Amino acid sequence: MSHVRLFLRRLAASFHRRRAEADLAREIDAHLHLLEENFIAQGMPPEEARYAARRAFGNVEHTKELQRDARSFPWLAGWAMELRLGVRMLVRYPGLTVVGGLAMAFAILVGAGLFEVVKRATHPALPLPDGEEIVGLTYWDRAENVRKRPSSYDFLRWREELATLRDVGAFRVLQRNLAAGAGAGEPVMVAQISAAAFRMTRVPPLLGRALVEADEKAGSPEVLVLGHRLWQTRFDGDRAVVGRAVRLGGIQATVVGVMPEGFAFPVDDNLWIPLRSAELVREPGRDALLVFGRLAPGATLRQAQAEAEWVAARVAAGFPDRYAHLAPQVLPFANSIVWLSPDLFVRAGIHSVNAFALLFLVLVCGNVALLVFTRAATREREILVRTALGGTRGRILAQLVVEALVLAALAASLGLAAADALLKAAVEAMRAGPDRWPFWFTGGLSPATALYAAALTMLAACIVGVVPGLKVVGRRMSDRLRQSSAGGGGLRMGGVWTGLIVAQIAATVVFSAAAYVVHRQAAYIASVKPVFPAANYLSVRLEMDPEGPAEEAAETVPERFRRRYAAAVLELKRRLSAEAAVAGVTLAEWLPLAATTDPRAIEVEGAAPGEPPSRWRIGASAVAPDYFEVFQVPVLAGRAFDSRDLTESAGTAVVNNLFVDRILGGRNAIGRRIRYESPKDAGQSPSPAQPGPWLEIVGVVRDLAPGRPAPLNLDNPAQPRLYVPLSPGRESYPLYLAARARTDPESLAPALRRIAGAVSPTLRLHDIQPLDSATGEDARFWRIFTNLILLGSAIALALSLAGIYSVMSVTVSRRTREIGVRVALGAPAPRLVAGIFRQPFLQVAAGVMVGCVLVGGVVAAASSGSGAALARNAALLLACGIAMMAVCALACIGPVLRALRVQPAEALKDDV
Amino acid sequence: MSSEERRVELLQGSLDLIVLRTLATMGPLHAYAIATRLERISDYPLDLNQGTLYPALVRLEQKGWIKGAWRKTENNREAKFYTLTRAGERALAAKVESWRRLAGLVDKLLLEA
Repeated sequence: MSHVRLFLRRLAASFHRRRAEADLAREIDAHLHLLEENFIAQGMPPEEARYAARRAFGNVEHTKELQRDARSFPWLAGWAMELRLGVRMLVRYPGLTVVGGLAMAFAILVGAGLFEVVKRATHPALPLPDGEEIVGLTYWDRAENVRKRPSSYDFLRWREELATLRDVGAFRVLQRNLAAGAGAGEPVMVAQISAAAFRMTRVPPLLGRALVEADEKAGSPEVLVLGHRLWQTRFDGDRAVVGRAVRLGGIQATVVGVMPEGFAFPVDDNLWIPLRSAELVREPGRDALLVFGRLAPGATLRQAQAEAEWVAARVAAGFPDRYAHLAPQVLPFANSIVWLSPDLFVRAGIHSVNAFALLFLVLVCGNVALLVFTRAATREREILVRTALGGTRGRILAQLVVEALVLAALAASLGLAAADALLKAAVEAMRAGPDRWPFWFTGGLSPATALYAAALTMLAACIVGVVPGLKVVGRRMSDRLRQSSAGGGGLRMGGVWTGLIVAQIAATVVFSAAAYVVHRQAAYIASVKPVFPAANYLSVRLEMDPEGPAEEAAETVPERFRRRYAAAVLELKRRLSAEAAVAGVTLAEWLPLAATTDPRAIEVEGAAPGEPPSRWRIGASAVAPDYFEVFQVPVLAGRAFDSRDLTESAGTAVVNNLFVDRILGGRNAIGRRIRYESPKDAGQSPSPAQPGPWLEIVGVVRDLAPGRPAPLNLDNPAQPRLYVPLSPGRESYPLYLAARARTDPESLAPALRRIAGAVSPTLRLHDIQPLDSATGEDARFWRIFTNLILLGSAIALALSLAGIYSVMSVTVSRRTREIGVRVALGAPAPRLVAGIFRQPFLQVAAGVMVGCVLVGGVVAAASSGSGAALARNAALLLACGIAMMAVCALACIGPVLRALRVQPAEALKDDV
Repeated sequence: MSSEERRVELLQGSLDLIVLRTLATMGPLHAYAIATRLERISDYPLDLNQGTLYPALVRLEQKGWIKGAWRKTENNREAKFYTLTRAGERALAAKVESWRRLAGLVDKLLLEA
C-alpha cells in the first residue's frame, strides 16, 4: 500500500464525510446492542445492561472523534466548513461581494495582463518545433551604442564558418505588387529568404513544396511560396494554385507551394521568394540583412556567441575600420527581431510596469480591506460571541482569510477570463490593422501568467483578510467585550485609510480633469471641417520597387530611381486626369488633414527676438503647382505656385492663414523671407547643420482645416502650414496623390489600379482611401482614449465612494449609543448630522483640494492661454470639486438616515 | 495483585497486529466479536475500551488490509463484518516477523538483567 494511495483515500474521505459518519454511527449502534444483549444474557436487567454496554464501549463521541482523525484530514474538514461559511458570507453581503469582487477582478486583470505583455516582450517564445533553439545573429555597434544589421558578407561567412549553428539563413523584407490575373495587383510584403528557413522551422508545406536550395541558384526559375492568409484572400483558397504563374512587381513567378495556417516566419510573412546567393553583394557593410540559424545538437547559445566572436575577430583583422567597433550578438530569434535595449534603465522601466500593477492591486485591496473591516465591525458581536464560546484568534482570523480567499478566487477567475479575452481581442485587432506584428504574438494568457495571477490572488486575499482580521482580533477581547456591551463599539478607522480615501478622491479629480481635456480634444478633432469636400477625394501613397541589389541596398534614394519614379508618377497623374470621372489630380509630400507631417524648424527673417518668436516648428509640405486649385483653396493674398516656381533657383513659398496669424502676428506676409534651420535629412545629425536657403513668401492661402486652438496640439489638423513647390525628380520619396472625383471617390480606385499597372508594374499603390477617413481614424483613437480615462476615473470614484460609505457606517455604528444619548437630551437633527458628517467631509475636502492643486498646477504650467481661459478652467475645476463633494454626500445618506432613526431607548437598552 | 494492577496496557501499534491476527484465525468478524475474542483469550484483563478498535479498523481498511461488509449476525442483527484481504495476509506475515524480532530482543534484555 503506497503512501500516496493512503493519502488519496484519506483525502477522499475528507470530502465524503456524511456517508462515513452515518456508517460509523450504524456500526457503533450495532456494537452497543450486541454488548447489551450479551449482558442481558448474563442475567442483567435491561436498564443496567444498557449502562454496562456503554461503560464497556467507552465514550461514544470520543471514539467517533478518534475514528474521524484516523479516517480523514480533520484540518481539511475544518477548512471545508470555513469555505462554506465564506461563500455564505459573500451571499449575505452582496454589496461588498459585487463592489469588492469587481474592483479586485479589475486589479488582477491589470496585473495579469501587464505581466503577460511584459513577459512576451522580454521572454518571447517561438511557436515552432524546438523554437528555443532558433537564434538570430546581429551586431552591436559599441561606438554608437546601436544595433547594426549584418551585411551579406557577414551572412556568407557565418554560414560557412559557424559550427555551433546549422541551417544558417538570411532574409530581407520587400514590398511588391502581387497580381494574380490581369492588372497591377496590390502591394504585399515579400520575405526574400534563404531556403534553409523552411528546413530550420520544421514546418511542412500545406500544398506543393517550400523553397529549396536549387531556387537560390542564379538563373533558376522565379518561384514563390504563398502563406495561408494570402492564399485565402487573394486566391480564394484555390488548391490548384500550385503551378500557377503570377506577377510579382516586375517579374513573373510560379507558385510552388502554400504554407499552413499560422506559419509566418520570419516575422509576419505570407509570401516567400528565394534570396539568391549570386545576387548578394559580397562586400562588407554594403547591404543589410537579418540572419538566423538553429543551434546545432548539443550546442548552447553561449558557445555560439563565443564562436561568432571568434569569427568576428578574424573579420575585424581584415577590415579594422568597419568592424573594430562591431560586436556580434547571438540572441534567441524573437529577441533579435523585437529588440529590447540591454540598458539597465530600459529593463528596469519595463519591469516597473509589473511593480506599478502590483501597487495598484495593493491599493485596490486596501480599499476592499476597508469594506471588509466595516463588515467585521458590524459583525463584531458575532465575533465576540465566537470568542466567548472558545473560538481561538487563529480560528477567527482563519475564517476572515478564507472569506477573503473565496472572494479573491472569484475575482481572479473573472479577471483572468477578462484578461484572456481582452488579450485575444487585442491580438486580433492588431493583426487586422496595417502594422506587422511578429507571429509569436498570439493567443491569450500563458500558464506562467496564470501562476502569477494565483500568487496575486493569494496576496489580495492576505491584504483583504489578514489586515482587517488582525485589527479585529488584535486587541484584548475582554476589553472589547466590555466596550461592546457598553454600546460604544470598539473598532476605529486608522490614519492610513483616511490617507487612502484622500488620495483616491484626489485621483478621481485628476482623472476627471484628464478625461475632460481628452474628450474635448476628441470632440474638437471630430468637429474640424475642412473647407474642401474631403469625402470627394481619393488619396493614395505611391511607392516603387527598386531595381537590382544596388538600388535595394542604397541608404538614400538613388538619382536613377528618383528619375524613374518621377516619370511614372507624372504619367500616372496625366492619364488619371484624363478619366471622365476625375475632376482633378494633384501630388504632394503630405496631403491636407494629415496631422502627422514632420514638423521642421524654420526661422523667420527679421523677426524681433521675443514676441512672436523667430523660430518655429511647423508642418511643411512640397506640393504640385495645381494643389490649391484641385483642393479649391482660395488665395487670400499674393499668388499660388505656377511654372515659374519649378526652377531650382526660384526659392518661393506659400503659407496658410494660420501661419500669418500665429507666426507673423497677422502682419503682411508677402515678400517676407523664411528658411529651414537645417536640411531635411539632418534631423538626427548631432553636428549643427547649415540652415537652408531663404524662401520668399509669394502667397497666402485659406486654411484647409480652419479651427480654433484645440485643447491639445496633438493630431490637430488646424496648424500653420508652409508649402514649397514640388518638382518631381528633385523632391522627396514617396509622394501622395489626391484625385477629386465627380461622384464617389471609391469608384476611382479600379481605374487608378488599372492605370498604375499600365504605367509600371513596379509602381505600388498604398493606403487607397477617401481623404476624410484619416481624420475619422484620429477621432476614433481619441474617443477610445477618452473612454479608457473615464473608466479609470469611474473605478477611482467607485472605490472612494465605497471607502466613504465604510467610514460613515463605522462612525454611525460606533456612535449609536452617543447619538442615542444626544437624541434623548434633545439635540436637533442638523447638529447631529453635522457631527457625523464632519470626518468624511474633511476627508473629501482634503482629497478635492489635493486633486485641484495638482490639476491646477499642470494647467498653469502647460497653458500659455489668456486670463479668461485660465478663469474658465479654474471655474470648471471648482465645479468638478463641488460635484465631487455632492456625489460623496450620496454615499453618506444611508448611514446618516440610520443614525437619525436611532431611538434612545433602543440605543441604551444594553445599559439597562 | 488486584485486578486493576494486573490490567495489560496495549503497546503502541500492537492493536493492528492483534486485529489482523484475530481475523486470520477466526475468519470474518464484526468489531464486537473482535473485542470479545481479545478479552476471552487474554490471561489478564485488557486495558481496552471496545470503542478503541474503531480507529484501528478504519486505518486497516484504508490500507486495504481488511475489508468491511454489512451482514446479519446469528441473532439476525445487522453488523459490519471485517475480512482479511490478500494484502492483509502479507502485511500480517511481515508484522509477525518484525514483532518476533522485537519481542526476542526485549526478552533477551530482560533475561540479561
